[in-house]
Amino acid sequence: MTAENVFEVEHVTLRFGGVVSLNDVSLFQKRGEILAVIGPNGAGKTSLFNSLTGVYQPQEGTITFHRADGRSMSVIGKKAHRVAGAGVARTFQASRMFSALSAFDNVKIGAEDHGGFGVVGAMVRGPRTRHDDRRSDEKTAELLRFVGLADRANVIAASLSYGERRRLEIARGLATLPEVLLLDEPAAGTNPSEKLDLARLIRRVRDELGVTILLIEHDMKLVMSLAERLYVLNFGSVIAEGTPAEIRANPVVIEAYLGTSAEASA
Amino acid sequence: MIPTFLQRAPIRRLLIVLGIVAVVELITGPPGSNQYPTSGFTGSYAEAASFFGLFRTQRWVEFVALALVAWGIVEFWTRFGATIRSRGSVALAGPRQVSEKRPVRVGFALALLVLGILLPHIVNNAFWQSALVTYVAIYVLLAIGLNVVVGFAGLLDLGYVAFYAIGAYTTAWVTGALPTPPPFGHPLDAFWAIPFAVVFVVIAGVLLGAPTLRLRGDYLAIVTLGFGEIITIFANNLYGITGGSTGTKQIPHPVFHVGPIKYTWGLAPVPYYYLALGSVVLFLVVFSLLQRSRVGRAWTAIREDEVAAESLGINPLKFKVMAFAVGAASAGFAGVITASADNFLFPSSFTLVFSINILVLVILGGMGSISGVVVGAIIIQVIQAYLNHTPPAGYQQPDLYIYVGALLITMMIFRPAGLIPSRQRRREITLYETSHEGHPDEVLLGDDV
Repeated sequence: MTAENVFEVEHVTLRFGGVVSLNDVSLFQKRGEILAVIGPNGAGKTSLFNSLTGVYQPQEGTITFHRADGRSMSVIGKKAHRVAGAGVARTFQASRMFSALSAFDNVKIGAEDHGGFGVVGAMVRGPRTRHDDRRSDEKTAELLRFVGLADRANVIAASLSYGERRRLEIARGLATLPEVLLLDEPAAGTNPSEKLDLARLIRRVRDELGVTILLIEHDMKLVMSLAERLYVLNFGSVIAEGTPAEIRANPVVIEAYLGTSAEASA
Repeated sequence: MIPTFLQRAPIRRLLIVLGIVAVVELITGPPGSNQYPTSGFTGSYAEAASFFGLFRTQRWVEFVALALVAWGIVEFWTRFGATIRSRGSVALAGPRQVSEKRPVRVGFALALLVLGILLPHIVNNAFWQSALVTYVAIYVLLAIGLNVVVGFAGLLDLGYVAFYAIGAYTTAWVTGALPTPPPFGHPLDAFWAIPFAVVFVVIAGVLLGAPTLRLRGDYLAIVTLGFGEIITIFANNLYGITGGSTGTKQIPHPVFHVGPIKYTWGLAPVPYYYLALGSVVLFLVVFSLLQRSRVGRAWTAIREDEVAAESLGINPLKFKVMAFAVGAASAGFAGVITASADNFLFPSSFTLVFSINILVLVILGGMGSISGVVVGAIIIQVIQAYLNHTPPAGYQQPDLYIYVGALLITMMIFRPAGLIPSRQRRREITLYETSHEGHPDEVLLGDDV
């Protein structure tokens, strides 16, 4: 229970009817770490993400989110927008942009403060509203530059390339000023050169913005080069934990990915 | 086996048009009778009619001619439509750029406002002066309010009439026209019903919204449908409070009396027109400011993808309830104006059909586009007033729904985003048609569950 941890997940079990999606999962993430969760399809990776962000409510266990200011929050039982407001941003496996809006507006919606004002305050555009508006415009422009989409600001999100959309989604998540950014298969559907760019971008997010990164990824090359530590999920349970080198050598992991020799011969 | 010549697209389209026209002919023809069971058919097709006043012939000739003209237009459009449209957009690019400049837009709005102010003097006809209020202004007010709910926030509300009813009943209550004693023990002027009505409908919006807006799509539509019905049933059955099914006939005309200024509305429609025009302008300003604010952007985000919006810290329930309450406010206004202009009130005027009418105005005008909804409401309501005032031969009031329905279907085929669509909405619809990716109705969160 050290304060250096951002996430502490203890004995979390998530069920959908009779299907056990997460089975007694315990893990932790250190602040400033690039952590990856890997595993075969259906292993429960996205369920874990949805549990960490308040979208799913696990039936058992605890998930604690420790903020940099020393305050902690129990995630289970909180609504997704509360968790997001506390500093957990995410991207989605099938990218979920506001497709009909420009890249700029996509990020700006993330950058805006969504509480603490009423209908009248937002409408009248008093000095505070105008100030907030200018600040979110500046923040948006800065983030678009950071992810390399400054010249695409006015393009409609739907007409961006797949790789650009992935970067835009990262910018939108970062606009909420998170402490942790959860990336759900950021490299899915991108080409090799876009993958390299993305890996560089993810590392810059951590190094330059100090945002902790939790990553789900299928592309092993990307994961192994990017992650500092990994968890391997299979059938909803954590089967291994360690550095990329340790994971690569772990017989249990190899078995999960390639099947046992008994299965192979059957 | 279908003969080969029937498989050619133009022939097929001709047959479809002929089929539609034959149905229209039957619908608009005389009804059948017990003595002559087939008279509906023979009357529809073989009745003598004048060919647009030129020569005498039978109805079917007239309709075949109509079908050929319609078919000609369809054929022309399928062959040359794309070219015309692309040339048109090239030719309109310049004017469009000019029209997007702020001073031009403000100037245009002011010109329209002046036209709106002068309108009752241009239309110097008792029927149309009163129609401007009862058919047009009230409906514009209702349509722009529903547009906030349906167009901005993307919530299908089929019980919008409830807020209109609450506004009207509040007026009756405040002025002492109901069996319930008025607030503070003595009746107030109908003009002061406005703040009461706005507060009441906003409260009703929050009360209805807070529990129900957790539902999505169809479920929400069904619950709002129920709410609309509940209000009507309450009004009908709570004799001691609402006066029951006979309603009330004693609502006074509004009086504005502050200090030395006093103005009394009477029977003449024009002062009500100005009252309604004032409210329309007020709400147009309020709603367009809101649309451009962060509240409007949060609504857009929720409408496009609620899950993604929530992941950015937007509380969907809060903003949906806000949309419900804000949208209800203009219906409250409309209720006050109608009740005090008419002096009377019946529960039977607040029906489901009324809610659907308003929704049709919003859809035809262009969901989410304020100017579209205003224009759409004006056009439909003027047509309706015209048809009621000077009905063509054989026209009966319920026939209106046939025409509005046909118009709605035609719109959905050729201009699915409405008459003057909002740019975002148009994009959303094209995106939805090309792929289902990222649509708000999609609740899939990932592949592993």
